[in-house]
Amino acid sequence: MRTRLSHSPLCWAAVLLLSGAGTSAFAADYVDLRRIEPIHGDAAAGAAKAAVCAACHGPNGNAIVPMFPSLAGQRADYLYHRLAEFKAADPKAPYYAASPMPAQAAGLSDADMRNVAAYFAAQARTAAPAAPGNAKGETLYLEGDLARGIPACQGCHGADANGPAAQGNQYAAYPTLRGQHAPYLVTRLNNFRGNLPQYSSNDFIMHGVARTLDDDSIQAVASWLASLPPKEKH
Amino acid sequence: MSTSAHPRPSSPLTPGFSALSSCVPEQKRDSRFRLSEEQKQNRWIPAFAGMATMMLFSTAWADSGIGVDTWRGNKLDPTAGQASEACDARGTTWLAPLQRRSPTGNLYDCPNEAPLAHEIGEWLYYGVLQVGYIGTGDQGVAAWNRYADWRSDKAILSLLDAHFERPSDGSYVDVRASRISDEDQYYQAVFGKAGAYKVQAFVRDMPNILSTDARSIWNGVGTNNLTLPSSLTPGGSTPAQVAAASAAAPTMTLGVKRSKQGLSASTYLTPEWTAYVNLSDEQRKGTRPYGGPFFFAFAFEGPPFNLNDGGVNETIKPINDSTININGGLRYAGPEWRFDFSYTGSFYRDKYTSYNYQSPFKLTALPVIPGAIAAPLYQGQMSTEPDNNYHNFQATATRKIPWNGEISISASGGRMSQDDALIAPINCQGVFGIGLGNLQLGPQNPMLYDCNKWNTTDALSRKTADMRIDTSMFDARIVLQPTPQWTLRGDVKYDRQDYRNIYLAYNPLTGQYGYPSENGTQGSIVPGESGIWDPRTDPSALTRVRSLPLDIQTIDANFGADWKFSDKNTLSATLDYNRYEPSNRERSQIDASSVKLTWVNRSLDWLTLRVNYTYLKQTGNTYNFDPYEFTWSSSMPGYVPPATGTPAHTVDAMRKYDMSSRDENKIDVMATVMPRDDMTVSASVRGDWNSYDARIGRQAYDTVGATVQWEWQFATRSSISAYAAWDRSRLGLSNVQDQANGTGADPTLGGSNYALNGQWWATDAQRDWYGGFTLNHDIGRVRLDVNWNYLYSRGLTDYTYAGPTALAHLVGNEGPGPGGGAFPNMIYRVNSITIGATVPFSERVSLRLFDYYERGRINDWHYLGFDQGLVVGNRVYTDAGPQSYKQNLIGLLVNMKL
Amino acid sequence: MDLRRCGVVFAAVLSCALVFGAINTGLAQQRRSEIAQSLPSTNLSSEKQIDPSLPAPAPGFARARVADNPQAPEAKPVGEKTCVACHQLEADHFTHTLHALGLHVANRSDPSIPVCETCHGAGSAHAQNPQGKGLIIAYTKNGGTPIDVQTKTCLTCHAGGPRDHWSGSVHQRNGLSCSDCHNPMAKFSVEGSMAKQSINDTCAQCHKDIRLQFNRRSHMPLPEGQMSCDDCHNPHGSLSNGSSLTSFPLAKTNTVNETCYQCHAEKRGPFLFEHAPVRESCLNCHSPHGSNQNTLLVAPIPFLCQQCHTQQRHPNDLHTPNSLMTGKNPDERIMGRGCLTCHANIHGSNAPAGSKFHE
Repeated sequence: MRTRLSHSPLCWAAVLLLSGAGTSAFAADYVDLRRIEPIHGDAAAGAAKAAVCAACHGPNGNAIVPMFPSLAGQRADYLYHRLAEFKAADPKAPYYAASPMPAQAAGLSDADMRNVAAYFAAQARTAAPAAPGNAKGETLYLEGDLARGIPACQGCHGADANGPAAQGNQYAAYPTLRGQHAPYLVTRLNNFRGNLPQYSSNDFIMHGVARTLDDDSIQAVASWLASLPPKEKH
Repeated sequence: MSTSAHPRPSSPLTPGFSALSSCVPEQKRDSRFRLSEEQKQNRWIPAFAGMATMMLFSTAWADSGIGVDTWRGNKLDPTAGQASEACDARGTTWLAPLQRRSPTGNLYDCPNEAPLAHEIGEWLYYGVLQVGYIGTGDQGVAAWNRYADWRSDKAILSLLDAHFERPSDGSYVDVRASRISDEDQYYQAVFGKAGAYKVQAFVRDMPNILSTDARSIWNGVGTNNLTLPSSLTPGGSTPAQVAAASAAAPTMTLGVKRSKQGLSASTYLTPEWTAYVNLSDEQRKGTRPYGGPFFFAFAFEGPPFNLNDGGVNETIKPINDSTININGGLRYAGPEWRFDFSYTGSFYRDKYTSYNYQSPFKLTALPVIPGAIAAPLYQGQMSTEPDNNYHNFQATATRKIPWNGEISISASGGRMSQDDALIAPINCQGVFGIGLGNLQLGPQNPMLYDCNKWNTTDALSRKTADMRIDTSMFDARIVLQPTPQWTLRGDVKYDRQDYRNIYLAYNPLTGQYGYPSENGTQGSIVPGESGIWDPRTDPSALTRVRSLPLDIQTIDANFGADWKFSDKNTLSATLDYNRYEPSNRERSQIDASSVKLTWVNRSLDWLTLRVNYTYLKQTGNTYNFDPYEFTWSSSMPGYVPPATGTPAHTVDAMRKYDMSSRDENKIDVMATVMPRDDMTVSASVRGDWNSYDARIGRQAYDTVGATVQWEWQFATRSSISAYAAWDRSRLGLSNVQDQANGTGADPTLGGSNYALNGQWWATDAQRDWYGGFTLNHDIGRVRLDVNWNYLYSRGLTDYTYAGPTALAHLVGNEGPGPGGGAFPNMIYRVNSITIGATVPFSERVSLRLFDYYERGRINDWHYLGFDQGLVVGNRVYTDAGPQSYKQNLIGLLVNMKL
Repeated sequence: MDLRRCGVVFAAVLSCALVFGAINTGLAQQRRSEIAQSLPSTNLSSEKQIDPSLPAPAPGFARARVADNPQAPEAKPVGEKTCVACHQLEADHFTHTLHALGLHVANRSDPSIPVCETCHGAGSAHAQNPQGKGLIIAYTKNGGTPIDVQTKTCLTCHAGGPRDHWSGSVHQRNGLSCSDCHNPMAKFSVEGSMAKQSINDTCAQCHKDIRLQFNRRSHMPLPEGQMSCDDCHNPHGSLSNGSSLTSFPLAKTNTVNETCYQCHAEKRGPFLFEHAPVRESCLNCHSPHGSNQNTLLVAPIPFLCQQCHTQQRHPNDLHTPNSLMTGKNPDERIMGRGCLTCHANIHGSNAPAGSKFHE
């Protein structure tokens, strides 16, 4: 091929052609929560959509059944992205197949999800029945267990377990854990340990952390978190 | 091959050992061994054997502390593979959206995708193979092919990069190669164990194309004997005949290929002691345009002679040499002490001692003496660079001292020497000089010389050069940090070069001094200008009779303090005094004092600012405008000044710029600005103003420049950057035409010889505008890269003169008084753009298609008109000069992860 | 390509490797290769004892210890496993570096040798408060670790050799950190653990003006990837501060010329006849980073030469465009190679008749 293409648009055309040919979606296979903008929703509008949630998540998002997470006072960005996750999920895929949430989220519009998230975030967490503290869980949460390679949870979830103290959009979807039901937390940590879900960049972080935990540690830290009384809204 | 040419005996077998013998100067030695061609081909084996032996005894890879060969890439990919690595779409960390910034504030690069490693037993391995094809409608232009071989369409191995590692013990092997052509390729292999040792070998070939539009009138290009074709009569051709031969000669490429091979090893002996050795051998082969003086042509073309005389030959020098470089050393780094002992050696061998050429032009004795006949000279010679040896030992000891300080003492001693066989003063046969009426030797012809008395090395005061420079250096420095806020620094350095030996141009066969000037031609054209001083028959001849030893001694002392006046603000001041003492120069002592101030400010999150300012004042002792008298015949006993006095060597007001008193102001401001998390702007402004205390010579040299770069990482794998820069330099000089045509004894500026109306001034102003743009972005699955670079350089040389007497030639329209003018702009403008797309086909295979278009425009007035022919009068040029070009290169590369 | 040449070189490297393998006996007892693929250890010496069955750590890593972070004196080492729990992606990239290869081996042999914390200091304070500035040794703009703590940490292992004169060097005084130029967290360059794709790109972060000079008409083969800034300069500091006529800043050797001779050994001589400014400094006539004249010259010939040469007769004439080939008086003193057409051996001549560099 004796190419004298210096004045010929042929090569440029070829480049463009190739570019065009390749425009089929090549999206990342996870949602990157490192570059998100904080959401804004209408809590009042969300209240209407949230009525159905109470069946599992209790009145105003204070779940009665401890297998279901309480949503009251949770951070709106966490709730929104979690809803988005369920809406986007393949309901037959592992992890999601076991959850009623994909079906629940399927009918929500983006605005609905923002509103619902804003609504629950605005609700007050009611005090759970007092539970005994747990020294091991507290230590794990606050200091980790360096001998076993477990980092302190508080680094990301806050010293008071009420969400990260750090400012910055990349932390917006880190949840508050304070006063959350222990059985729910145990399930979630077990899932993370098993590398599920793999929806967002934050899931990869939690997988790395959870794989350092054994059953006892998961149980201990979950119990301790559940024992914490709710704080005033942050 | 002519017998009077001097092929070099050969290269040393084991330079490291012959080196030792050269430390004994008194002994006559023969460090060169004769090798057959076969042996030369195989000299690698003994070289590496010797090297391996050395390693066993003592002996890091060429690092930032010693040696070269720190990088091997090529023009297609100067990053040697890194540029084709895809950045990891996941980014650097899950915990933050962007790359972090370096302490200065530049965004760190996005890391590569993690390699897809295989396991082979306990080894992991991964690699990349990139092969493809480049097509270039090459027009054979030197500037486009500079340091690259893109002269034809070809299949290429763009990159082979394979990495093996054994995680169990940290062993690794790295192989990297790229081949564009025989002349443009590299291969390297590394074997090592992390924290233990490393062995590396490489082979590299690099072209340096100098001209692709050369025409040679000579046969034998590339050898040491350039002969004229049968269409030309040596020493008897007219310009028209030479022009015809030149026009008929095919265009050819002149260039030099460097082929280098290297081996290096470094190892830890203990956690504190390390040893290293680096050895390389490089061959240079090729041709380059060079000179070939048969005396002036310009001087006789106009009135009163109207002659095509003399001969200006742009010959072609053969390059065929090799250099062995060795360095090795031991280093110790402990908690209190550090030591560094190193040896550096270099051994240069040239196949040729000289090359010969025939000059086609006819010489004519100037008709200033009745009956003057020029000797029919046509044979010219050019010495090549002599073989040389170099050794240097250096030792440094550093110790931690109280006040968080460090004291360090270094000393080194070295020697560079050469003892090459000298060539004869001339290589003519018969006679040279001017005969009166005939060319018979004898007392009747005092200006005629016998070639046989000058064309052997018996005509020399010694047969080998035997020149040497010994170097020594001592440095002592201290750094103290008495408080975290204060750092105090002091440094004294002493450096010396001692020139050993001096050469006297004395011919024992004739008892005469000096040499036949310009292959004997000067004395064959101008009566009395043979270049030979004879105390008996020509005691007033002025010629060089001695070599010029150039000993240098330097003492430098500086003291400085850094004051960290706040957490993120540092002010520094350094006072430096430098005494430079050259021998046999215009000044024997030059004093330079400088103060340097630095302010580093990083107190703002979005800015790092560095400001440096230097003021330097250079003065010295009395300026002797003519320190070279002792090298001339005028310094010899028996010299008789001519009736008009010994001509002045130069004008008294000349101040050579290295020796001249000078004031310098230099400022350098660098800012790194971070306007957003994903954006960086770097800007710099620099200025350097030099004012020289010189009425004649360089008077000013100022440079100013500004640069701004902008980088935006708008997505993990996507970035845009752009830059713009501008700089300007201005060099001003003055010179003065002499009036007495070489006979004036008065050196005074404004005197009878160097009259003020002969003074002239020239200013060379260079301006450069630079711009560029880079985009890397994913469009769907396709990775797009665009890179544009632009440079426009414009040099303008203008001049003024006090009177037309300053001019080399009068055109005829000059007025009686001052005047001026300018040369055409010297222009170099290059616009190059690369557009590439990388399309992944699978996890392991991708295809890259790119197009590189470059347009270069060069205007160099030195070569103005050369496209109309390379011969004008008694001058023949070979290189037609740089050419403008438009070139396109299209490449298709398959990238496979192995 | 001369296959024989290639073969000989590679045979040589192989034999050297064997020699070194022999020297480093006992290193190749790959008894626990399976460890390589497992989770990193926590490297807490209280947990694990030195396993005598494993080879001793390589000397280069044997003295590696948790770096001293004066801003977190109370912090305890946490071990690589803890770090990686959150910093998995970093670990994914770091694994393919020479530091990782060596530190992992050393850490397995001797658990008191840390991995991450060799450079970043003890991690417990940071793990509890990741946003706390300076609690971990950070090599970043706003990480809160002072520059001198950063450089001191690197120099713990990398003191001496090319970095012997870092202290007091121009880059040290201007507040540069090692990590302005080096990024050992992943493979960003094929050599030198550079922060950018090549040594040259790394230097151009600040010295873009110098880098751009290499785009000029005549230049060293640096844009073509055949050499690097590091071939002439030692950015870590050197004995040469550029204050003398024979030196330049951060010179890799003791003088300007010594640096040039590394590749241009033929210019070393000493010649029978020397040209004073040539012996003094190549920079008297050459602009090392690029020039719009031919052969890196500072100014066009003959004006370059006429800055000094005002000798009688032909050197001191003022040339005008009239002296060009297209002028009325074409003159060899300015056409083509100009002065060098006759004074060709301008760098020095070894010819007995070469005192004016004619031969």
